[in-house]
Amino acid sequence: MRFAPTELTSAEGALQREVRAFLAAELPRGSFTPGLGMQAGRDRAFSRKLAERGWVGMALPRRYGGGDRSAVERFVVVEELLRWGAPVGHHWVADRQTGPVINRFGTEAQKERFLPAICRGELSFSIGMSEPNSGSDLASVQARATRAEGGWLLNGTKIWTSGAHVNDWFIVLCRTSDEPDRHEGLSQLLVDLRSDGLQVNPIPFLDGTEHFNEVVLRDVFVPDDLVLGEVGMGWAQNTSELAHERGGPDRWLSTYLVVEQFLREHADTPLGERAEGLLGEATARWWGLRQLSLSVARQIDRGEAPSAESALVKEMGTRFEQDVLAAVQRLVDLEPSPDTSSPFERLLVRAVLTAPSFTIRGGTNEVLRSVAARGLRS
Amino acid sequence: MTDALLLEVADRALGDTCTHETIQAAERDGWAPRVWAAVAEVGLHRIALEEGGTLGDALAVLRIAGRHAAPVPLAETGLLAGWLLAGAGLPVGDGPLTVVPGRPEDRVELAGGRLRGVAHRVPWARAAERVVALVPSGDGWLVASAPASSLTVEPHVSLAGEPRDTVAFDGPADVAPAAAGVDADALRHRGALTRVLLMAGALERMSGLTISYTNERVQFGRPVARFQAVQKHLVDGAEDAVLAGMAADGAARAAERGEARFEIAAAKLLANQAAFSATRAAHQAHGAMGMTREYPLHHLSRRLWAWRSEYGDERFWSARLGAAVRRAGADRLYPSITGGSEALIV
Repeated sequence: MRFAPTELTSAEGALQREVRAFLAAELPRGSFTPGLGMQAGRDRAFSRKLAERGWVGMALPRRYGGGDRSAVERFVVVEELLRWGAPVGHHWVADRQTGPVINRFGTEAQKERFLPAICRGELSFSIGMSEPNSGSDLASVQARATRAEGGWLLNGTKIWTSGAHVNDWFIVLCRTSDEPDRHEGLSQLLVDLRSDGLQVNPIPFLDGTEHFNEVVLRDVFVPDDLVLGEVGMGWAQNTSELAHERGGPDRWLSTYLVVEQFLREHADTPLGERAEGLLGEATARWWGLRQLSLSVARQIDRGEAPSAESALVKEMGTRFEQDVLAAVQRLVDLEPSPDTSSPFERLLVRAVLTAPSFTIRGGTNEVLRSVAARGLRS
Repeated sequence: MTDALLLEVADRALGDTCTHETIQAAERDGWAPRVWAAVAEVGLHRIALEEGGTLGDALAVLRIAGRHAAPVPLAETGLLAGWLLAGAGLPVGDGPLTVVPGRPEDRVELAGGRLRGVAHRVPWARAAERVVALVPSGDGWLVASAPASSLTVEPHVSLAGEPRDTVAFDGPADVAPAAAGVDADALRHRGALTRVLLMAGALERMSGLTISYTNERVQFGRPVARFQAVQKHLVDGAEDAVLAGMAADGAARAAERGEARFEIAAAKLLANQAAFSATRAAHQAHGAMGMTREYPLHHLSRRLWAWRSEYGDERFWSARLGAAVRRAGADRLYPSITGGSEALIV
């Protein structure tokens, strides 16, 4: 486990200023309803505008419409979008993990088909990993693809599939053969969410929103050219995909805006020692976590695979997201109301009702600790 | 970036001498002559002074000292007392030095060329050749350097058993105006910075020690590190170590460029919080073995508890940083998180 200290170069600093200026002009405070980190709203037009700036699919190759930029440059853009509460929902998953995973494992035809549309901010993806009986233990997935003329017939049920009702595609982890080692015989299939035989059933989320779904697959035909990478290599590919999900700013900024808005609404009233102390503690921890997270991005740019480091940052970051929220709640004498018109209270309500998911989504903290503990031994 | 050779030399000098027995003996005797001799031989106490080297070098060596729980006034001699003396143009000498940290209950003043009063919690005063104090004078600050012969030392210790003496001054002292910008607050920041580096080193070592111990200790037929409940402690300790370590790096880098008030406040706060949670995790993972003086965990855990309260506890630094954040306002919050001292005046 190692985290080398790093900081932004002057070019990366210039990019940061550019993103800040863009957001201040495009989405001035008060002109839109900010969201909480990566669960912020979806706005195709906004995603396209970002893409025009080259800020979607940044780290993908230029010949597929990407920017040939580094993981650190993507980090710089993403942290500004998240802390601003910008509506990144439409392109979020495609930009963070699907694009990179297709670029790494996909065929030339798949790259040409999907990556340019991802980089234009058009194509949106969901994640097809979890199943009713497979959560943390993903190697136990029961979705199964069987051989058919020119492709595969896919059957099974995926669950907790955010955005399946609005997104275009998802990558389904499924079994394509039975092997003595259950980590073998798994494959990843690129599946159109509008396919025949595919049914999306909404699952109401705790906060009343409807982004969560069950996706039932009944004899969904997937042509051979939509098998991602190699048949039977799904486990390794999926593990690599998970590494992209972890350790970034989305894992420690989910409740940042609650604190910023608290500060904004109390600009003219004395805060008292407890509140100022909390601001000091939170600021210090964001500063420290950000440097760890930036260090992970720098490691990725050096071609390393910091999976234990990413797991460690996500474990710490997501717990902090919850801790800081609890601390803010203790500061305010408020019966939070979901129908409030106060921006602070609105963010607080949303955060309180979704916070338990922070330490679950993208790998539970229990699993992350196991991954990190393995890294500590080696 | 600090020269790898310097770090190797420091690691060897301190690693060879800071044995379990030596640290135990230092606690009993109040001094570790062999450790100091090794430090002096390679000049670790003079880095960033006349030995050359940068502040970053001296801080990197301090982190190694923390790793080895080195029972000597390395921070005090070079980075604190030596810094005050050199800045004021006073002689630094070659022996161990110490500094008056400046507790609220201290009363130290200069009257007619004599230094008078009482200072508390002065590290290794009993072994120092000179005790250096920062004394207010009109609207400025004076550096006063009192020889050991001119003062009375009442021995006290920290939670780690390191000397934190009460010093009664009543005698002549060398006096000169402090360098520009050096005042009690600057000393507090620099003192806190030394504790941050020491703590980062101790946290790293404690994490490593806990990982080794739990991989060797067998219960229920397997190493206890294989149990998930124990792994949680290992991960907690590693998280504290990497976070405090990264904060120490950030503070050290910023201190080479300027006052680094944001980074020092934030890093001391994070290190202090880690001192609670990491020692808790390490002790729990060690079981009864960690509660004995025979096993070296206590060299690290007790030092962390002691350093936590020196040069500002969590309440002090969180209030300080929080007040600055509040003054700057909501729109400056994120730029402060990314920019530190360049974006926020603490």
